[in-house]
Amino acid sequence: MKKHLTIVALLAALALVAAACGGDEEEPAETGATGATGATGETAGFTQGGVVREELTDFGFTNGFDPTGEYLGTAWSWYQQMLIRGLLTYPGRAGAEGNLQVPDLATDLGQVSADGLTITFTLKDGIMFGPPVNREITSQDIAFAFQRINTESLIAQYGNYYCGTIVGMDCSAKSQDEPIEGIETPDDKTIVFTLERPTGDMIYRLAQPATYAIPQEVAGCFDKAGDYGRYLIASGPYMINGSDQLDITSCDTLEPISGYDPDKFMQLVRNPNWDPETDDVRLANFDGWVLNINSNIEDSYNKLLNGELDLLHGAPPAAFLQQYLTNPDLQDNFFSEEGDRTWYITMNLLVPPFDDVNVRKAANYIVDKAAMLQATGGESSGLIATTIEPPSVLPDLADYDPYATPNSAGDVDLAKAAMAESKYDSDGDGVCDDPVCDNVLMINRNYEPWSEYTPILQDNFAEIGINLKIRELDVSTAYTTIQTTENLIPIAVNAGWGKDYGSPFGFNFFLFNTAGDSCEGSVNYSHIGMGEDLAKECGPKTLAAWNAVTDNGANPLPNVDADMDACVALPTGPEYNACWAALDQKLMEEIVPWVPYRWGAANIAIGDTVENYQFDQSAGLIAYSQIAVTNGLTPEELFGA
Amino acid sequence: MVRYIIRRLLWVMVTLLVITLLTYLIFFVMPPTDPAINFAGKQPTEELVAEVKRQFGLDKPLLVQYGLFVKRIFLGDEYGWPGLGFSFSTRSELKPVIFERLLITVQLALGAAILWLLVGIPIGILSALRPRSIFDRFAMGFALFGVSTPVFFLGPVMLYIFWFQLGWLPGSGFYPIGQYGFWEWFSHMIMPWTVLALAFAAFYARMTRGNLIETMGEDYIRTARAKGLSERRVVLKHGLRSALTPIVTILGLDLGALLGGAIITETVFNLQGLGNYAIQSVFSGDLYAILDVTIIAAFFITFANLVVDVVYAFLDPRVRYT
Amino acid sequence: MPEPLLQVNDLKVHFPTDDGLVKAVDGVSFQVMPGETLGVVGESGSGKSVSFLTVMGLITTKQAIIEGEVIFKGQDLLQIPQEEMRHVRGEKISMIFQDPMTSLHPFYKVGSQIGEAIRAHQKVSKKEAFDQAVEMLQRVGIPKPEERANQYPHEFSGGMRQRAMIAMALSLNPDLLIADEPTTALDVTVQAQILDLIDRLREEFNASIVIITHDLGVVAEHCDHLQVMYAGKIVETGTADDIYYHPHHPYAWGLLGSITRLDEEQRERLRPIKGLPPSLIFVPPGCAFHPRCPYAFDKCRVDVPELLPVDGQHAAACHLPLADKQRIFAEEVAAR
Repeated sequence: MKKHLTIVALLAALALVAAACGGDEEEPAETGATGATGATGETAGFTQGGVVREELTDFGFTNGFDPTGEYLGTAWSWYQQMLIRGLLTYPGRAGAEGNLQVPDLATDLGQVSADGLTITFTLKDGIMFGPPVNREITSQDIAFAFQRINTESLIAQYGNYYCGTIVGMDCSAKSQDEPIEGIETPDDKTIVFTLERPTGDMIYRLAQPATYAIPQEVAGCFDKAGDYGRYLIASGPYMINGSDQLDITSCDTLEPISGYDPDKFMQLVRNPNWDPETDDVRLANFDGWVLNINSNIEDSYNKLLNGELDLLHGAPPAAFLQQYLTNPDLQDNFFSEEGDRTWYITMNLLVPPFDDVNVRKAANYIVDKAAMLQATGGESSGLIATTIEPPSVLPDLADYDPYATPNSAGDVDLAKAAMAESKYDSDGDGVCDDPVCDNVLMINRNYEPWSEYTPILQDNFAEIGINLKIRELDVSTAYTTIQTTENLIPIAVNAGWGKDYGSPFGFNFFLFNTAGDSCEGSVNYSHIGMGEDLAKECGPKTLAAWNAVTDNGANPLPNVDADMDACVALPTGPEYNACWAALDQKLMEEIVPWVPYRWGAANIAIGDTVENYQFDQSAGLIAYSQIAVTNGLTPEELFGA
Repeated sequence: MVRYIIRRLLWVMVTLLVITLLTYLIFFVMPPTDPAINFAGKQPTEELVAEVKRQFGLDKPLLVQYGLFVKRIFLGDEYGWPGLGFSFSTRSELKPVIFERLLITVQLALGAAILWLLVGIPIGILSALRPRSIFDRFAMGFALFGVSTPVFFLGPVMLYIFWFQLGWLPGSGFYPIGQYGFWEWFSHMIMPWTVLALAFAAFYARMTRGNLIETMGEDYIRTARAKGLSERRVVLKHGLRSALTPIVTILGLDLGALLGGAIITETVFNLQGLGNYAIQSVFSGDLYAILDVTIIAAFFITFANLVVDVVYAFLDPRVRYT
Repeated sequence: MPEPLLQVNDLKVHFPTDDGLVKAVDGVSFQVMPGETLGVVGESGSGKSVSFLTVMGLITTKQAIIEGEVIFKGQDLLQIPQEEMRHVRGEKISMIFQDPMTSLHPFYKVGSQIGEAIRAHQKVSKKEAFDQAVEMLQRVGIPKPEERANQYPHEFSGGMRQRAMIAMALSLNPDLLIADEPTTALDVTVQAQILDLIDRLREEFNASIVIITHDLGVVAEHCDHLQVMYAGKIVETGTADDIYYHPHHPYAWGLLGSITRLDEEQRERLRPIKGLPPSLIFVPPGCAFHPRCPYAFDKCRVDVPELLPVDGQHAAACHLPLADKQRIFAEEVAAR
């Protein structure tokens, strides 16, 4: 695994250099790199036709499949790989290469001005919206997408990547029709973004699905979050089955597209208006795609094994995982890809004993990460995490392991040595003897594999004198519990964080910046950098804890906002990454808010019908834009297209 | 009798109101935090959460929310009547979802009921008429197996054997008769009906057997024989009439409960009914979905109680209501 | 001599059980003449009910061992097939039972139940059968019979229910009506009414009646003949006069001593018979009554007494010599 990481890191570095050379010159003389892949010439050789069949137990959409606010990785994959197009998209490859943008509607990766404050894009010709809109996409359609992001009632769930960064965007507009000062469309083919400050990874943010072209004639009818999702107009190779039946004469004549039932299925068929000449990324080998909801996950895997399905995403139930890992016939049918997700134990700087950095360091030494990985399912479930950002997002730290222990199984001696420095270990024997170490509440999830972590962690922490009282909750309650600051949860293991996009900013920003801290819905669970105002706002208990820990403000909490601001301004490239790497190191060694324990893998099981398997690193699913299927089915026979 | 029915119907209303009020309270009191955070995405800033709350109607005081909910149930909301609200998860209206799922659950429940009656009662009768015979022992053995084997075991086992290995029956999923024709629909329902009916059939067999044995020992059976009636008539008209009457009561109650959703059967066989929707909604914290399912289930149970009592009055002339 | 309507010869009905062989009826012979009323008296367990249930073919226990002859109008009912027996029951021989509340089906109207009995044996429509039922109800003295026929058993009083049962039993004009404890569950005043009714109907329908009871007082005025049963056997039989005025069996003496008599002054307390009826599995050897008999002697413990005629139709099964019996009765029993 380590060897692979090194290679990936080298490739990533090369690719970054290549990308960097293309993007940010003074004169827009050269066109930018077209990205790491070229699609032309590769269609020959892959089976054409067939329908990709998949199942899930639940869609799990966070915003009803409306791209303006939809935050689910699965939805992003389907948008990018099949349904809609924006200025930039992703190539559908694994590794660092897959996390780098390629132009889609735009002719290049954008021309950045010398001061880094404006980015200009030119649109390609002849790219159309699918039926029933049936017209060419213009720069206004892109601007409109941003207007939707900016509209308060549409609840753009990652709007803060744009609001406060693009001039004139504050995410509180009252209507979708309000134009944005910092986005200009001098003509149908040109769009210019003006930023408040130089933002190195703006290019990543412009590849997010919320920014993709949206037709105002349809989406303009929906000003409540989530509503547009059932009326999604395609611009990619595929459209939702039944889109052509949509009556767009007025808002009142619109009926939800028949091919998407949020309770049951989604069916995609070819978009007749998609022109492969305009698309360098997508091969569009198959004729249709169908996803059915199946409440019985074992049933889905049985269907996959006997050929009724073509692929399944997610961790298979133990019995099936066993088959995929041990049966030689199934060896090529199962993949564990890097999931760009870190699973971690979070510690609250406001709550003793975790207000003491030595205790937090001891925690990092004592946790038996190997056992936790084993309990999760072994290697197929990922890698042992040694720092905050996963290696595919920040390859610089691939070998960084500040709290290394033999076999990553934890080391009592190292842990005790750290604990001995703590004020809670009065006799310096490495074991906590302060009453605050008794009955320390830890939040966990109540199903496997998290429930398997409970005994492991209980034992681990007991060795340094911390007596954990572990409460297992269902996943949403667990999250809302630790997100509510006034609860003052000392430590929790239910959380994980997946990248929004491949730049380390997206990974670090919310988790450790004061912008990510709030009273309800905080994701800066450790409350790094919390100031007195916020402490007061969250409640008496928070204020009391804050006062105790900061000595009434004399000793403020560590704060990395400034470090982050410095990194944000840099253009993407080695300097950018090095800046974030340094921040990671500071976080891991000086502030120590987490014990990261696993970098999650994305599991994909495929049937024998799947050709040209590729992994789309950006969204973490199979690269629908690249695969083909040999099942020869037609959408008509499967769902009467 | 009519006055009695009306009074009971009023009680049904009151019960439903109390149940929904309790559900509301549980929903808001049990998880100690704001449900809006759940639906504001990965990065729930204060502004996002506030807007979500507003759109979900969660910014109003609890009792006002409850009052609005009750009002909408009776008078309808923007999606029609009854006002079942919209789903926090899918941001879509709930009425079509609930009704479609209800239809599936009804088909599952009724089909299973017919099956368990057709199997359980005759077995019970035959056992009662030949107590301690080989047939009786086999039948009661089957009954023991039936009530002991849990659905979550039997279901997957049947799927594995009959679909995966032998290919005799099609797999999971619900195929509406209108769209796929009779055989597709029926063949997909065979296993779920069987699995669900098994425990009930066993129970009803035992109950029928017990009731009939007891009834056949009654004095009026002796009188019937003394009148010179054929044994068949004695058993069917005199014996069964009394033995089966309590079963009508139980059947009504069982059906009432089942119409609220057979959770495990629906999940195992991927029948998108109310049962597995209930579970889904609870786990995702989808308030209106939870309330709707709760109301429907509670309604069926309380209404079934009423129907059963009224029917019993028709069956047993000694029972009269004022 | 006219032919007996019913002739029972040496009837034995034994039930094998886990605890042993229950000899419910152990060698019983009697006859019922046309047009007469036979009273059958005895305690619970004497075999009086089982005998007549056997006559009716209502012993359904498969393991029951039944021997002997039950000759009814020349036919041995024990030998005919079930299907034929069904035609006898209800039509030729009817039986009514002790508790009319539980003996009628609670879910069906009284008129329908009577109609059902009729239709089991005659090809008539439901309506006709119902009309006949109404008529029967009137004949048994139930006022407003049309209304009553449409009611359910729980809407009748105890006495009325028994009348309805009688109506049902007589609706097909049977030759023999067996009434098993017909008044036991009724009030004393109603008892007399029912018994009078039975008498009246006997004449109207020209039927023979058997009244089974444990109460000597009940049968006093209404029976032509009496037989006393004990532990599955008949211990004394004769006319009502014979039994009441000249009983020959210590058990009968005991029974008489334990009833109040209106024709005598009440001098002393009632004297119940000491002890309890014997187990029918472990019947005492010799005379089954000997453990309770104040006059038992050696022979009684060894030899089973036969039912021997005393004079005319009067017969008793006791080892005491005639002279002794007469003396004891005169001195001790009658004197009380």
